[in-house]
Amino acid sequence: MTYRSNLLLAGLLVMAGAATGAIAQEAPAADTSASAPAATLDLRRIQPISGDAHAGAGKAAVCAACHGAQGVAIAPTFPNLAGQSATYLYVQLKEFHDGERNDPVMTAQAAPLSDTDMRDLASYYASLAPKPAGQADANSRGAQLYLAGDPEQGIPPCQGCHGPTGLGPQPHWSSAPQPPWATYPHLRGQSSLYTAKQLGDFKSGARAGSSNAKVMQGVAATLGDDDVQALSTYLSTL
Amino acid sequence: MLALKGNRTTPTVAALGLLIGLSGMQVASASDTSGTMRVGDMQYGNGLDLRGWTPMLHPADPDGMSYLHPGMLRTPTGALYPYPPMIDAGKPLGSGDWTYSGLLEFGYLHVGGDRNAEYFRQYDDWKSSAVLGLFALDFNNRQTGSYVDFRGSRVSGNDQFYRLRGGKYGSYRIEGFYRDMPHTVSTSAYPIWNGIGGTDLTLPASLLAGASTPAQVAAVSAAAPRRSIGLVRTRAGLSYEGTLYRNWIGSAAITNEKRSGTRLWGGSMFFNYPFPDNGGVLETVRPIDFRTTDINLSVRNVGKLWHFLATYNGSFFRNHKNHLDFESPFALWNVVGTPQVANIENGQFSLEPNNDYHNIRLDLSRELKGNGQFTIAGAWGTMRQNDALLPPTTCTGTGGIFIAPPVDYTFQCANWNTTGALSQRSANARIDTGLLDARVTFRPTPKFGWHANLRWYREDNKTRYLAYNPLTGQYGYISENGSQGSIVPGETGIFDPTNPLYQSYMVSVRNVPFGYTDTILELATDWQIGRKTSLGVTYTYDHNQPKYRERKRVDDQRIKFDWVSRDVIGATVRLSWEYAKRDGDKYNYDPYAQFFSESLPGYVEPATGVAVHTVADMRKYDLSDRTESKARAIVTYPWGESATLSATFYGNRDNYDALIGRQDTRTTGSTLQWDWQPTPATTMNVYLGAETSRMGISNVADNEALVGADIGQTDPNLGGPLYPYANQWWEFDRERNRNAGLSFSHDFSRVRFDLSYNYTGSLGRVGYDYASLAALAYKGADAAAAVGDGFPDNKYRTNTLDLGMSFSLTRDVGVRVFGRYQTGAFSDWHYAGFNDTLSYDHRIYTDKGGQLHYSASLVGVMLNLKL
Repeated sequence: MTYRSNLLLAGLLVMAGAATGAIAQEAPAADTSASAPAATLDLRRIQPISGDAHAGAGKAAVCAACHGAQGVAIAPTFPNLAGQSATYLYVQLKEFHDGERNDPVMTAQAAPLSDTDMRDLASYYASLAPKPAGQADANSRGAQLYLAGDPEQGIPPCQGCHGPTGLGPQPHWSSAPQPPWATYPHLRGQSSLYTAKQLGDFKSGARAGSSNAKVMQGVAATLGDDDVQALSTYLSTL
Repeated sequence: MLALKGNRTTPTVAALGLLIGLSGMQVASASDTSGTMRVGDMQYGNGLDLRGWTPMLHPADPDGMSYLHPGMLRTPTGALYPYPPMIDAGKPLGSGDWTYSGLLEFGYLHVGGDRNAEYFRQYDDWKSSAVLGLFALDFNNRQTGSYVDFRGSRVSGNDQFYRLRGGKYGSYRIEGFYRDMPHTVSTSAYPIWNGIGGTDLTLPASLLAGASTPAQVAAVSAAAPRRSIGLVRTRAGLSYEGTLYRNWIGSAAITNEKRSGTRLWGGSMFFNYPFPDNGGVLETVRPIDFRTTDINLSVRNVGKLWHFLATYNGSFFRNHKNHLDFESPFALWNVVGTPQVANIENGQFSLEPNNDYHNIRLDLSRELKGNGQFTIAGAWGTMRQNDALLPPTTCTGTGGIFIAPPVDYTFQCANWNTTGALSQRSANARIDTGLLDARVTFRPTPKFGWHANLRWYREDNKTRYLAYNPLTGQYGYISENGSQGSIVPGETGIFDPTNPLYQSYMVSVRNVPFGYTDTILELATDWQIGRKTSLGVTYTYDHNQPKYRERKRVDDQRIKFDWVSRDVIGATVRLSWEYAKRDGDKYNYDPYAQFFSESLPGYVEPATGVAVHTVADMRKYDLSDRTESKARAIVTYPWGESATLSATFYGNRDNYDALIGRQDTRTTGSTLQWDWQPTPATTMNVYLGAETSRMGISNVADNEALVGADIGQTDPNLGGPLYPYANQWWEFDRERNRNAGLSFSHDFSRVRFDLSYNYTGSLGRVGYDYASLAALAYKGADAAAAVGDGFPDNKYRTNTLDLGMSFSLTRDVGVRVFGRYQTGAFSDWHYAGFNDTLSYDHRIYTDKGGQLHYSASLVGVMLNLKL
């Protein structure tokens, strides 16, 4: 109650010309809900990370078992990591590590990693050459959805955040606050099995631990099963 | 370092919207109907809640506007957007894809203090009664994008709104609404008549029309009950907009507005000044019984190269009460002292006629190579009214003045109180308008753009009316229902070429069909200087050709410079300055001879000549030569992440090249605003505004002694015998306005507190000066001492304090307690003395004006239920 009284008094003092900054910083976000909120990872302020790729190479032996020696997965159930955004990879490891994202294998693999390990591994895989481009069908339903979306169904075009070629966004310069571009994954060449699984997890809410996941939940909710398949197929051949 | 911040997130539609925007592609289809004003009505709200949805704004969404961007967004100039309200995900409706959410807020309002104060009730119908704060019910289908929502609020039967809206995003929208809006004009009116609100005002039994003494009238006025004067606007409408076929989008809207009530009105039985007992000056009450039906239709096509839009607007005004008759209690006495042969006991006003308006418009736009666009628009409109005309008078018997044979200024009312006395039975009035507007815009490089615009508009008034009475062969119109001619000999309002008494009378016999043609050329260019600074220059040439005015050509040239920088020590600064110069052809001070009886055959010029219409040095303010300059500076400073400080300074200066008429106007003002929202739970705003303005006018009184008696009356020049310098006078209008506002709210989770305070103050002063006492029509005993003085100050001031507390009892139930305390002060010398009496000789007034001081309060308690 003392805090509340002080806040009101402070507000009135501010009106009279007192400094504002300190008060603004001290005021925490109010709990405006009657029920306890579920914690999510707010990625909106994250800056691109840095790490030691060389050191990461030395820590990647276990990873290669599934993700391949050069970051290209050995089976379609696993994602390709080569050429992926370092910040995206780091955030995913962090989520597995902290329990905001769950996977029977990755949760256990990430648990012992230090923050430095995660940065190094992310930097290492980002430094590898991505899987070569494929022969995607530019007239397919998947291409249409990826590039233009479907306004009738409320589906936004994926390229807005993932880039026209699936290699990340190409934002124009703007003085407006920018989204955390570096946290958005490159999608080119991921297996259709893996992509469809992720879209399904977003849609079901199984993958919901970050602010980015909240965005993808909204997108995935607009996709039907055929759309998911079309998109996954297109991306795997992109 | 990755910022790991546990936070609560909710599905936010805004995120999807931003994603779409980020794509850089136009994914919103051509059938998108959002953001147009073709569907729906003005902002919905009332005195309880000006925004119309305030209860739905809380709690604020701590995630801000987007899952994508950190912090709160600002406008391009640096102003903070407010935190958006938390989106209610809704509850499932059955087993389908529909969800619903809603809110019901209702309670009781108690009104205390001076609850009838005019300015307290001006646009609110406050009553101590149950009120519906807000009823909102939304249905959404996230799968199909379909939605239906309802909003309603009710303070009273005269102060309420309801809206039902539905549609499908990107496809169509339909809306129906109903609203009542009060507008109180006076709460302290004391009319002496019976039949207020109708078309016939009759005197009470204790007064005789045309035969009551001022004392009798004063007694009735003193005993008259207090009434409120005002009206209620009732608007209802239905509108639709949606895709018709492929890229073709159509809209249709019909809105009906009914205005019913009363308004303070006049009632002249000619002057009661400066001679006592002559005529009558009455403040009456007229009925308001209007209905306006607006129909808007449009169809548009948005192609890759061509854009096309066709619109039709129709407006149909109907007045269900076309006249106001009133009885005058006062006897008329003529100024020559002969026995009064006429006793005009009634007056009549012809009220607004029914009229129709149609306008069709075509807009065509095409993309051009070189990042350009060409747009052309053409429109044609017509305004028409053809109501049956009322007879020139309602008097009966004989009117006018009989002096001695052959000086007989009487007239027989029977020759004028019939429609047979009209030259035509209906108005047959019509004004046509035409518009052509072409524009070409190019932006060859991102740093440079220009446009040229040519606009032509004509208003052609086709109305022609000649005031001719075929029953008598006379021209003109019985003035003030016959009362004027019954007080001053010959001022009957008519011209008669066969009667020596009337063959030299100057009266208005034709309407003046004012119209104009306006051509505007605009050339503009803008440069981007660096990343954050731009400079714009706009030149405008406005060539106006008015018809039947003092000038046939008026040219206004204007140049404007804009400079905008978004990084001046972190602030956005916008500066603009413009200079305009207006001139034209020769000024003809009297182009109206053709509309007066002097233009008719048989008019005999008096031996002393025709008195001039007005002083030749008069320059009407819309036609006189003028120079104008305007300057404005707007500074917006983002103060940290959570506050914005903004200030505006502006000034306008106009100088008119006129010896007589408007001389100059000046306006200077500034505003200062501070907005602060440190967290989603706290907001605070402070606003200060000040403005001063002044206007100078010069005029000259005519030398009444010459009028009708001396050849000097034909000299129109200032400094001549009719308009001597000694008769010149000046008026200086000054006005000062001050506004201040403060609002603060904080959400303590279970309790939300809000406070606001508003101040409005206005001070008006009319000063005057005159060259000598000859400038005055009425020379009171203290007139000489009053040179360079002014009328008493007019003052208007209100202070309003609002306090509110909202408590959450459960997740879905809350209680809101709020109060408002308002004080006001009002002082206007036009109403001076009315608190003592409304009756002065043959003048009877109705409205005492606003309360000198008042204080009123509202206390309310509301139950808030989430549905």
